[in-house]
Amino acid sequence: MYRQDDIDAAFLADRTAEFRGQVMRRLAGELTEEQFKPLRLINGLYLQLHAYMLRIAIPYGTLNPTQLRTLARIARDYDRGYGHFTTRTNLQLHWIRLADAPDILDELAQVGLHAIQTSGNVVRNITADPYAGASADEIDDSRVWAEAIRQWSTLHPEFSYLPRKFKIAVTASPADRAATRIYDIGLRLYRDAEGELAFEVGVGGGLGRTPHLGATIRQRLPVRHLMSYLQAILRVYNLHGRRDNLHKARIKILVAQLGIEAFAREVDAEWEASDKAADLPLDELARIRAGFLPQGLTPLPAVSRRLEAAKADSRALARFARRNLAPHKVPGHAIVHISLKAIGATPGDCSAEQMETVASLAERYSQSEVRVAYDQNLILPHVRLDDVPEVFAGLEAAGLATPNIGLVSDIIACPGLDYCALANARAIPIAQEIARRFSDPVEAEAVGELKIKISGCINACGHHHVGHIGILGVDKKGEEFYQLTLGGSGGAPGEGEAAIGQILGPALPFARVAPAVGDLVAAYLAARQDGESFIDTVRRAGLAPFKAAVYADAHPL
Amino acid sequence: MRHALTANRLSDGEVVFWSGADWVGAFAEARLYDSEAEARAAEAKARGEVTRVIDPYLIEVAAMAGRDAPVSFRERIRALGPSNRPDHGKQAQGGEAVRALALAEGAARSSGRTALIRRK
Repeated sequence: MYRQDDIDAAFLADRTAEFRGQVMRRLAGELTEEQFKPLRLINGLYLQLHAYMLRIAIPYGTLNPTQLRTLARIARDYDRGYGHFTTRTNLQLHWIRLADAPDILDELAQVGLHAIQTSGNVVRNITADPYAGASADEIDDSRVWAEAIRQWSTLHPEFSYLPRKFKIAVTASPADRAATRIYDIGLRLYRDAEGELAFEVGVGGGLGRTPHLGATIRQRLPVRHLMSYLQAILRVYNLHGRRDNLHKARIKILVAQLGIEAFAREVDAEWEASDKAADLPLDELARIRAGFLPQGLTPLPAVSRRLEAAKADSRALARFARRNLAPHKVPGHAIVHISLKAIGATPGDCSAEQMETVASLAERYSQSEVRVAYDQNLILPHVRLDDVPEVFAGLEAAGLATPNIGLVSDIIACPGLDYCALANARAIPIAQEIARRFSDPVEAEAVGELKIKISGCINACGHHHVGHIGILGVDKKGEEFYQLTLGGSGGAPGEGEAAIGQILGPALPFARVAPAVGDLVAAYLAARQDGESFIDTVRRAGLAPFKAAVYADAHPL
Repeated sequence: MRHALTANRLSDGEVVFWSGADWVGAFAEARLYDSEAEARAAEAKARGEVTRVIDPYLIEVAAMAGRDAPVSFRERIRALGPSNRPDHGKQAQGGEAVRALALAEGAARSSGRTALIRRK
């Protein structure tokens, strides 16, 4: 993986020292909260309902074992022994003391991690394909480009005060595992007819109050011009994006108001006029690429006799292999998903001990690589099929072998009203109750692929708009209510084109949500044809059978 | 409607309530103001305590099942801790007052907190 150089290290050390001084001045009363808040936020330190929360960036979701062990130690020493992985592949620590924050940032800097640009109206953590470097269908390693963008956008003076936060995702595979359509900029790398690498550039995606899927503004951007083109997009946004209304400040609103063609013309005019000096020099790209060289794995027989024999002896291992393994580009290897969605657990939570287990397994069996996926799970990207039984045993002992990837209990949920100062309603207990309802793995497998995504407010950190079943917490006269949407899709393999879900009907009270999901699943099982997935059935049959199932006996709410 | 004065402690973000003499962790020890004017005066004074608390604000309190409790569901979560982790937050201490808060029902939109959220 990419290693930070001495300049990066010196910068992080300086930045932490500066923040340490600011914290001391705040504690001494030399800074007011009004003065201090922007300073803590640019260092990733939020104030939530019960405590400070530190949001740590995990660039393109890639961690090495040393970094993961450091996160575990910080969680144990400074927090309450766990961390929460988010839909932006960050890690949040929810119980931080203000005076400890500089020490934590120092420890993070020792392993090349930080919390810079995890808040504020800047380019946030860049996300990429969690299978990067491991999947057979990729054209390139998307992390190379994500890292280049990270370096370009970090503390970029021109883009340090955008109209609103800005999120970029990169995929380098025809299968979009990075949900690029819901990002401010979604970059899709492909090889053109001449065999050259090019980006399809999408702009204006985003969820929140006004959900939009990104639209393509340039079908073919030669990769050498990536940075100058991104610069042009951000310049147009910086100039025209609305700063007068928080709810209309994201680029999606600007794109919608101008129209995609007009927006593209503005960008092209800006780009044509630029001198392209922002573009990445080839030697710098080569330097970055050197951090992501292929692992040099030795091809092995595509079927592991060892694994097959172990599966024959263990139904649990067989189920885990069915649900949690994905094909690797090197024969005889697999991409192993680690579910952070044990039945009844908080989605995305991972204890310090579990982090250490994953770090050790990565070191021993996965070329010292761990990935964080936006579905709030972890991934060991390079595991020999022969080693899967040992990996499974290690995960099982740590409570990390839940065989539910992509199933009804693999639920995305934001922290919601249990932690977040912005939320209207709880998300986690809803996820827990649904998962318990479908705790039987046989039943869950029979239901098949079904993505439930829950947000505790309209900011949509839980991606509810693109859930096959989306659940949005709303405030109705101070009570928690939940609006259900159906038919959303992030555009991942197996779920068809990205789509925004449609509202099913009136919002439901807390106690009705999990039973309603049960009703939706029952309606699907009754209506599905020829092994259709849930999302396929919704697309074919429409909302009517599902509305009838949920609201058949409903009294007016 | 009665009010209590709440804030987050500067040093660690812990939820605190004004007892009339000091900032305390337990809602059960909070001073409840019958007079809104008195409550507003306490809030204004608390805003000067910049090295102790952040963003003090008033919350509405009402009797629920025989015990005083914050009217807003959000405030009851603040007073208890996250509902997914009963071992975290003030609820971890247990006791009759915590049990009563957990059982309180009825809700209304948070008053002072709404303004705070806008500021964030």
